[in-house]
Amino acid sequence: MRETVHASGTSRIHRLNPVTKLTFAVAVTVCAFAMVDYRWPLLLFCVVVLPAAIAAGVVRRFLLMLAALWAPVAVAVLLVQGFFFPGAHDVIARLGPLKLSSEGVSFAVQTALHILVLMGGFFLLLLTTHASALMSALSERKVSPNVIYIVSAAVQIVPTFNRRATSILHAQQARGQTIHGLRGRMRALAPLMGPLVLSAFIDVGERAAAMETRGFGATRRPTNLTVVADSGAQRGLRAAMLLCALVSIVVNVWGVVR
Amino acid sequence: MIEVEKLSFSYPTGSRPALVDVSFAVRPAELCAVVGGDGAGKSTLAGVVSGTVPHLTGGDVEGSVRVNGRTLADAPLSGLVGEVGLVMQNPFNQISGARFSVREELAFGLENLGVPRDEMAERVDTVMRELGLAKVRDRSPYELSGGQQQLLAIGSVLVMRPGVMVLDEPTSQLDSAGCDLVFAALDTLKEQGITTLLIEHRMERLAREADRVLVLEHGTIVADGTPGEVLADERLEKWGVAPLRYTVAARRAAARQLWPAGKPLPVTLDAAVEGFGGTVESFDGGGPR
Repeated sequence: MRETVHASGTSRIHRLNPVTKLTFAVAVTVCAFAMVDYRWPLLLFCVVVLPAAIAAGVVRRFLLMLAALWAPVAVAVLLVQGFFFPGAHDVIARLGPLKLSSEGVSFAVQTALHILVLMGGFFLLLLTTHASALMSALSERKVSPNVIYIVSAAVQIVPTFNRRATSILHAQQARGQTIHGLRGRMRALAPLMGPLVLSAFIDVGERAAAMETRGFGATRRPTNLTVVADSGAQRGLRAAMLLCALVSIVVNVWGVVR
Repeated sequence: MIEVEKLSFSYPTGSRPALVDVSFAVRPAELCAVVGGDGAGKSTLAGVVSGTVPHLTGGDVEGSVRVNGRTLADAPLSGLVGEVGLVMQNPFNQISGARFSVREELAFGLENLGVPRDEMAERVDTVMRELGLAKVRDRSPYELSGGQQQLLAIGSVLVMRPGVMVLDEPTSQLDSAGCDLVFAALDTLKEQGITTLLIEHRMERLAREADRVLVLEHGTIVADGTPGEVLADERLEKWGVAPLRYTVAARRAAARQLWPAGKPLPVTLDAAVEGFGGTVESFDGGGPR
């Protein structure tokens, strides 16, 4: 089972320092949210984020991830905002008692496109960066070991829980439990959660002891086995991206104040 | 070296002491096994010697535990890293969960201690070579078999170069192949002169590998000697430890004068074969010798 969504590759984007890619994801997100006009995040996505995914050679998985995660969010936002936007007057369609408003649709499109850029930036980071490289890069930036531990453990906890849940389900099925259809799955949920949560609590105690005996938190200056390449050009690029994000915020605030 | 003197310990919620007046010493490079029935206090003893008890559990301790001359009660747990290493029953729970390959997992403890990168790489590569983990170096720790995970757990401690290793039933969740891997790793510890305290149920393996065996019953040491002396003791079952089949067979044979007189009861297959072989051969000459 895959522990992360990382797609290995040798593209220039793969080789970038993870912090550069993290800065990119944050900067495009800030820039997208800073502008009210829906065309701006769309432009950012089409001109910056999507070409980056193509250049990295991960566009197929990138689009699949967006289809799986962004599309349902976009539809949900469209339905909620379109039909229930507060104070909307301009009704463009009716569905029984529900009214689809142009204000709601406009706001939903804008929100969905903001989320598209956010997800796109971070999916690109996840697809082109091995989690351990990201953690090492953050560690080199003196990010707290506790924060790094929480993030990296969280990345792996979902497949780990999935594996354990599967084992518990198999054990229960071996003792005659049938899991068919939606009702069967719902019934199986309660006996699954007990052992799953309980075993997780037991694990926490043992793992804490193991971490202590391996010196976790022993020094505020831990070192890293993994070497993460960086360069002056990348440092410049990061500064430029952060500047863009800052300018976007200033423009946004200035626009609001004005 | 491990020196335990008049050690008694009670958990905060325990109705009776888990350890009572326990005293023993394990010499440098010695592999000392601890056996006993359920609730005998074996894991508590492992915890006390490794420093996790009472540091993480709380409880009342009397007496003293010294590891390489250092009194554990005076040291914080983080200060014992590099002095004493602990390997627990469940290999899964010893994986940090924060590293994505075997090589990185091995380095986790060294990173925490701020060991320079070059030294860290050298130590990690050495341990991978010694334990046969090099072929899985880039795999996720979660993708390994149980035996390989336990090997990784041992390696993660070994890489810290502790003088003392405490292993609490490291093979209890492993199959025969996994068990072989762990006992091969114990050979490595011996070769490196590491003092080892091993809690273990696999008597046949202990009989071959251990230098010495302690038996705990209700938190007290009731036997202490070589594997041959302790595992052949007829009180073993009373102490909650299942005796070896060879020993039982030889004891029954001895009761019927079918075991060579004066020959110690066997605790290994080889000794049993030798003893029974002599008995069988003696039938050619008209009866047991």
